[in-house]
Amino acid sequence: MKIIIVGAGEVGFHIASRLSVENKDVVVIDKDPEAIRRVSDSIDVQAITGPGSSPVVLEEAGIKQTEILLAVTNSDEINLIACLVAHMISPATKKLARVRNADYDAYHDIFRKNAPHIDTIINPETEVVRTIDRLMSVPGAVDVEEFADGRVKFIGIHLDKDSPLDGIRLAELSSKIGKKAPLITAIVRGAVLTIPRGDDRLMAGDLIYFVTEAENLVDSLTIFDKQLEPVRRVMIVGGGRIGLRLCSLLEGKNIYTKIVEKNPDRCLELAKRLNNVVVLHGDGSNQELLTEEGIRDMDLVVTLTDDEKTNILTSLLSRRLGARKTITRITSFSYFDLMETIGIDQVVSPRLSAINTILKHIRRGKVLSAVSLKGEQAEILEAVAMETSDIVGKPLNKISFPKGVLVTVIIRKDKVMIPSGKSIIEPGDRVIIFTSRQAVSKIEKIMAVKLEYF
Amino acid sequence: MRWRFILSIIGILSIFLGISMGFALLWGLYYRDGSVHPLLISMGITLLSGILIYFFSRSPKTDYISHKEGMTIVAIGWIAAGFFGALPFYIGGTFDLFADAYFESVSGFTTTGSSVMTNIEAVSRGLLFWRSLIQWLGGMGIIVLSVAILPFLGVGGMQLYKAEVPSPVPDKLKPRVRDTALILWKVYALISLAQVILLMVGGMDLFDSVCHTFTTMPTGGFSPKNASIAHYNSTYIDMVINFFMLVAGINFALHYQFLRGKPLVFWKDSECRFFLAAVLVLVAVVSLDIYGPVYKSVGQALRYGSFQVISILTTTGFATADYEQWPAFSQLVLLLCMFIGASAGSTGGGMKCLRVMLYLKYCYRELFSLIHPRSVTQIKIQGKPVPEDVMRSVLGFMGLYMGLFVLSSVLLAWLGVDLVTAIAAVTAALGNIGPGLGMVGPVDNFSQIPYMGKWLLVWCMLLGRLEIYTVIILLVPEFWRK
Repeated sequence: MKIIIVGAGEVGFHIASRLSVENKDVVVIDKDPEAIRRVSDSIDVQAITGPGSSPVVLEEAGIKQTEILLAVTNSDEINLIACLVAHMISPATKKLARVRNADYDAYHDIFRKNAPHIDTIINPETEVVRTIDRLMSVPGAVDVEEFADGRVKFIGIHLDKDSPLDGIRLAELSSKIGKKAPLITAIVRGAVLTIPRGDDRLMAGDLIYFVTEAENLVDSLTIFDKQLEPVRRVMIVGGGRIGLRLCSLLEGKNIYTKIVEKNPDRCLELAKRLNNVVVLHGDGSNQELLTEEGIRDMDLVVTLTDDEKTNILTSLLSRRLGARKTITRITSFSYFDLMETIGIDQVVSPRLSAINTILKHIRRGKVLSAVSLKGEQAEILEAVAMETSDIVGKPLNKISFPKGVLVTVIIRKDKVMIPSGKSIIEPGDRVIIFTSRQAVSKIEKIMAVKLEYF
Repeated sequence: MRWRFILSIIGILSIFLGISMGFALLWGLYYRDGSVHPLLISMGITLLSGILIYFFSRSPKTDYISHKEGMTIVAIGWIAAGFFGALPFYIGGTFDLFADAYFESVSGFTTTGSSVMTNIEAVSRGLLFWRSLIQWLGGMGIIVLSVAILPFLGVGGMQLYKAEVPSPVPDKLKPRVRDTALILWKVYALISLAQVILLMVGGMDLFDSVCHTFTTMPTGGFSPKNASIAHYNSTYIDMVINFFMLVAGINFALHYQFLRGKPLVFWKDSECRFFLAAVLVLVAVVSLDIYGPVYKSVGQALRYGSFQVISILTTTGFATADYEQWPAFSQLVLLLCMFIGASAGSTGGGMKCLRVMLYLKYCYRELFSLIHPRSVTQIKIQGKPVPEDVMRSVLGFMGLYMGLFVLSSVLLAWLGVDLVTAIAAVTAALGNIGPGLGMVGPVDNFSQIPYMGKWLLVWCMLLGRLEIYTVIILLVPEFWRK
């Protein structure tokens, strides 16, 4: 399995490191020697300096033997041309391109069907907006992931300080609340993610991941003292491409939205593109501006500027001034752990979104979708159970799963089931598996899926 | 400024007008009435002056017209057209004073429809036809018509087109201005044909149908009958004319797109929506007001209410009822209609719905930025941002329009006209409507306005038709500086 990654920027770098850990042959191409040095210094991949859209460079990288080409430079045009050139030299190679310009949005299908036959076009900005949309749909949650076309939701929430569930053992949970408790798949305490067993305890301040069917969402949330209050007023700080996309989305949902942007020209551009959004010129971290524009009545503040420090600061300030929720855009993964400590819970990252999407598409075949959680400590995979697999035909408690793996949902035809120890997976079932990072490759083996890349 | 060049185009325009007198002459010959003689003489004078002006000012072929020259040509062209158009009435003895003939002619070309004729039905048919024809020509624009027909104006035509059809946001339907002008005239002629047929179905004879069509489509309002449309007392004819007044009050670019098979254009265009909504609301308000005190049945209130409102709002000026007998509220609503006017790009006058819309949006924006001092806002029409210079020109227009309205009504009052009449006459002239209130109401006419007042109103009509800038710019000294 050989993969070429064009562009050693943040996205390219992280995907390369992820894939190299999984024992794939990765070649990274970038025209910036500095970026290439960073790649070859820190990860075990081949690194080539040169323009990724050049046929000579692609030949040198061995495009003809390559199964997947990822074009993820910062330039849409270079990405598209790299795919086009690759298509001419090696039509069999699958191609993924990162394209950010919204003008291309409606043409993704055409790019797939016609030359250069780009199999997937990834737009990190749309992915981030989708993530924010999901987070908004469950305001109390820190993390919301959807599987099986939205019928199954993974929700991450914080256990409040004064929660009655503080200190309870998981095995006692159902009897304590008097009804069937949702399946808790992971507990993040400090910076450590554990997949809990029956005698693990919930502690106040824990980040708890649980799985629930979409229709039971409200019930499950009330167990943890969270309400499903709709978001009516939103303030966005930072009117870049993500901000604009988010505004258009909110405009479509008739949510009252204000957007704050520092650059006057960009403000005008926003005003031209948006109809019902209040565009404000100013610095998002300016307390006076936030107060004047009624920050304390906001259901949600989304900070999306390019500078994560500003975002963190603005989010903290907004919370202090009375905003109910904040979502903060973060760039470096290294800050993820810090966020909880300083009291910022909902975090989005275009890079993480892009990586998630790319992984999802790379893991196609029998894996339907894959999602990385918090700082990439765990993955959730949705896959089809093959007849040849070891997990088929026996009760779950008889299967020896590697440590850190949990079968959370079985979907048989259209029925969604949360399995118990006695449940048996039948061939053809779709299973959703929660797994820690270390167990990913073992899971590949058990599933006998041979995670075929495309 | 190349005066010879400007004059040569005026010459061509005169020749063109002379030829069109031929159509009126045909009716005169058919009816063998007293109009043959004056029309022949006027035609001779017009053609001869046109040819003389053209040959004496013939200049080297040019394919460029500057913005300034464009405006001068249009302004002088219209003043000249008023003069030549007045000749048949003056020579035919319809009026003793040339001022009256000139007033009638300009009122025709500018599609105002204010008349100084006291007994219209006594005037010969050929002259009445001429009176309708000049409205039809003026409605879509005489200069635009020349641009459409005369190929050599092609390149500089855009300047002329912009000066004569000064919509805030000009629609160019085709890449070439000549094709655009031609299309507009074709659509105009096609709809006119439909109206003639429908009026004849309603029992009107060919002459009256053509005359009324020629004054409905340009939203003119001249009728060959003393009692205007009330003469027929037919609900069918009221409704047909109502419909075509509405059609004429809508942007002709939309009609073109509609005829090309896009049935939803009227709904998609926000100005058109605004216009139709205004019609609905104002008709409802007026009908409700006159139901009871004036008309005993809902049907009648609606019939007369809708006709008067549409006639005034589209700036046509036909009448089927004496609205001066209506409650003061309805009269004031009609006065308001005179200010609003029809859509931009239509044949109607007034301030135009598009400008009113933009103005309202501007006002809202001002209030909005008081509430959100840091907000950045953009005025939009149909989701498209309106450029700042268009916005400025709209504001300038509104200011000038109101300023000229105040100034002219003060002047008219100073000439000895009563308050209501002064206000309404100036509004009607500036908006190219026709009847006003008071001395110039729907059953009276403008003959009692003092001599100087008539010239003042002529000036107002020209200002209104050419949407102020094209005419008033001639009074700015900077314009003449070399």
